[in-house]
Amino acid sequence: MNATATISATQPVLRAANVCKTYRMGRVEVPVLRGVSIEVAEGEWVAILGASGSGKSTLMHILGGLDRPDRGGSGGSSGGVAPSVWFRDRELTGMTEGEIDRYRNESVGFVFQFYHLLPELTVVENVLLPTMRKFGKLGFLRRRGELMQQAGTLLESFGLGHRLRHRPSELSGGERQRTAIARALINNPPVLLADEPTGNLDHKTGATILDAIAGTRSGAKPGQSGRPRTVVMVTHDLEVAARADRVVTLVDGVVTGESAGREVGAA
Amino acid sequence: MYQSLLTRRYLFSKIMPWLATIAVALCSFLTLTSWSVMGGFLNVFLQIGRKLEGDVSITWPTVGFGRYDELIARLEKDPAVEAAAPMIRGFGMISLPDDRAFGVTVQGIDERFAKVSGYADALHWRPLEEPVKKDVNQEDPRLDAEWPRRMERDLRAAKEQGGRPVDPPPLGSFRTWEQMYADGLSLSVRNPRTGVAEPAAVPGIELAGIAQRQAGGWYRAPALIGTRRSDGQDRWSSGFLPSRSVVINMLPVDASGRSLTTTSIRLPVANEFRAGFFEVDKNNVFIPLATMQKLLKMEAGERIEPGSDDPFAIDPLTGEPPKPKVIADVPAKVTTVLVKARAGVSAEELRERCLAVYQQFAADFDGQVPSFQQMVQGRNISTWERNFAMFIGQVKRETVTVLMLLTIISGVCSILILTIFWSMVSEKTKDIGILRSVGCSSLGVAWLWLRYGLVIGVCGAGLGLLMSCLLVWNINEVHDWLGRTLDITVWSPETYYLPDIPSTVEFSKAAIVGGAALGFSVLGALIPAVRAARMDPVRALRFE
Repeated sequence: MNATATISATQPVLRAANVCKTYRMGRVEVPVLRGVSIEVAEGEWVAILGASGSGKSTLMHILGGLDRPDRGGSGGSSGGVAPSVWFRDRELTGMTEGEIDRYRNESVGFVFQFYHLLPELTVVENVLLPTMRKFGKLGFLRRRGELMQQAGTLLESFGLGHRLRHRPSELSGGERQRTAIARALINNPPVLLADEPTGNLDHKTGATILDAIAGTRSGAKPGQSGRPRTVVMVTHDLEVAARADRVVTLVDGVVTGESAGREVGAA
Repeated sequence: MYQSLLTRRYLFSKIMPWLATIAVALCSFLTLTSWSVMGGFLNVFLQIGRKLEGDVSITWPTVGFGRYDELIARLEKDPAVEAAAPMIRGFGMISLPDDRAFGVTVQGIDERFAKVSGYADALHWRPLEEPVKKDVNQEDPRLDAEWPRRMERDLRAAKEQGGRPVDPPPLGSFRTWEQMYADGLSLSVRNPRTGVAEPAAVPGIELAGIAQRQAGGWYRAPALIGTRRSDGQDRWSSGFLPSRSVVINMLPVDASGRSLTTTSIRLPVANEFRAGFFEVDKNNVFIPLATMQKLLKMEAGERIEPGSDDPFAIDPLTGEPPKPKVIADVPAKVTTVLVKARAGVSAEELRERCLAVYQQFAADFDGQVPSFQQMVQGRNISTWERNFAMFIGQVKRETVTVLMLLTIISGVCSILILTIFWSMVSEKTKDIGILRSVGCSSLGVAWLWLRYGLVIGVCGAGLGLLMSCLLVWNINEVHDWLGRTLDITVWSPETYYLPDIPSTVEFSKAAIVGGAALGFSVLGALIPAVRAARMDPVRALRFE
């Protein structure tokens, strides 16, 4: 707990307060998050640990701007206090659709359990996808050579230099996930959000993926520079969570505890 | 950028967009082809109608009206009028050289007719320097200047052919193509014995059915046709109608419409005409106006004072029975005056001018010509389109019906595209989630699918229009090929009036069909695109 306090004392890059989320399944309302508050400091690696259905992926989606929290109000699960999600000094919950899209494109990078690569595109095209969105058609075409080189260097650093023109269906699970990480990093976002990044991989491959994620934290991937990258990783695996600086445990949509990663590993 | 890349990849990685493209192409193809043929049919019909009828006709049927030269002179002073020509149109019977007889429309015309109509262009037998488009083997006899002379020589030399007794052709019956064309224009043939130009007939080329239209679009005249004589013997003679004569029988009526004695005349055939409209070419024959006036008792004459009832009356001055007293000249009559508009004047504008001219004309010759009110009441001053409004209306209705059916088919195509797109969007739900996760906007995702629909529309419509143009431009060749190879004849001239299938594609029609195909494609993609745009990215990512 001390570790958390120490890290949280620095300027948070992500901050969520009193976040609630309820899904409607037919006529039944299923509360997934019930007043979750969390802060993630710049350069920190936070693991959100929880069992299936605990709301950890939903929390990550809300932090990444893919989903929005329920609006607070009297009598709601938020207890009448309005929820808020912040990226540095900007409140996500107050952003327009266009601003949220831009936030997802430039400020965060997603890595999913099932890779989520577009099967019709090659490895390098998948990686370049966020840059196409970022620069638009003309901008992309103007920077095409530079961006291609950047994507190539990035993929090279993940050991995929020989796979640039391959389709995802021609890659192994680990290669697909490394491609997904490269895609998440191509716009050099300050935050990497990973949802069970090793959940679909064997133990050994999973370890290499975690190494790759750890390697991204410096923000010093080839061709990139900047402040240390923040990583928020969702997992149900204690061993995986142990790689993080800090572990936030979520049970039934409520934060039940925080600890340093090494403590989780020791346990 | 990602939209164009993904559109390209989606197009080439799935069979469904190809199916959608083929559906759009087939719809465009069907619509443009049908519209071009049906619309072309109507256009050709209107052009041919104007070719032989002028723009406006002033008609007092059957009994006709006099002072027509005065009316024509007045009409030709009007700035809207290019030319005017008299005509008598009546129903009669024609007897052919092989003793067949038909009811026909007989039209008496003079040299002015060529100024208001395309009569000169319609004369079929003439010298031809270039073969017609489809006469690839150059078999058209008009290309051979020696053909008439050779035919005459061969027929004269042959006493019998294949065991059949052959009659030699009459003297001077075969003339050069140039002479035949000149004879057709003047509706006369020079009598070889006297050197005098005698009145002649110009029947439609389909009337006799002797000259056979070939698949190449030209006509072959058979060498011989058989006739059974009164002695029971079959005789064979020239089958080339302009070398023969026909008998025209007419039934004149008096001023009150009562029939008089049947009149008839044998006329040499000067030429044959081909307007290009089967019904016209099958049922019409032209003869000189003066001949027609004689046959129908419409020539100029004198009105005589009714004499005394006394059958034994004697003129006291001469001591002779009194001579009938002429009280008035009766002018020659025609049933119709055809009027051609000047360039830039529409048929309706011309009709208005003709009404005004006739009103003054009727006032000036009150009692001698049908009154203006009678003309207006009977709609006897009318454009060609108005005269044939019922037929034209039927063709237009048929065209609209076909287009409506095709529009429904296009609607079905649109639903098909919608289904295909819906299915593709469903299949690509996860892709939508991925695109949203990397920051693509909902509008950007919608544009991806709309663009996809647009590309399918452009490719499908382009392909369909191209196929349609290729077919329509070559439709007669394709039809002839089907006839030759598979014995399939879809287009019968007797049924569809025109000997050739219209083969013109109008740019405006192609543009409308292409635009509609594009619109339907975008419409088909619109709903799935909106669905994709509104899709919750988290649900999309979790979609199985």
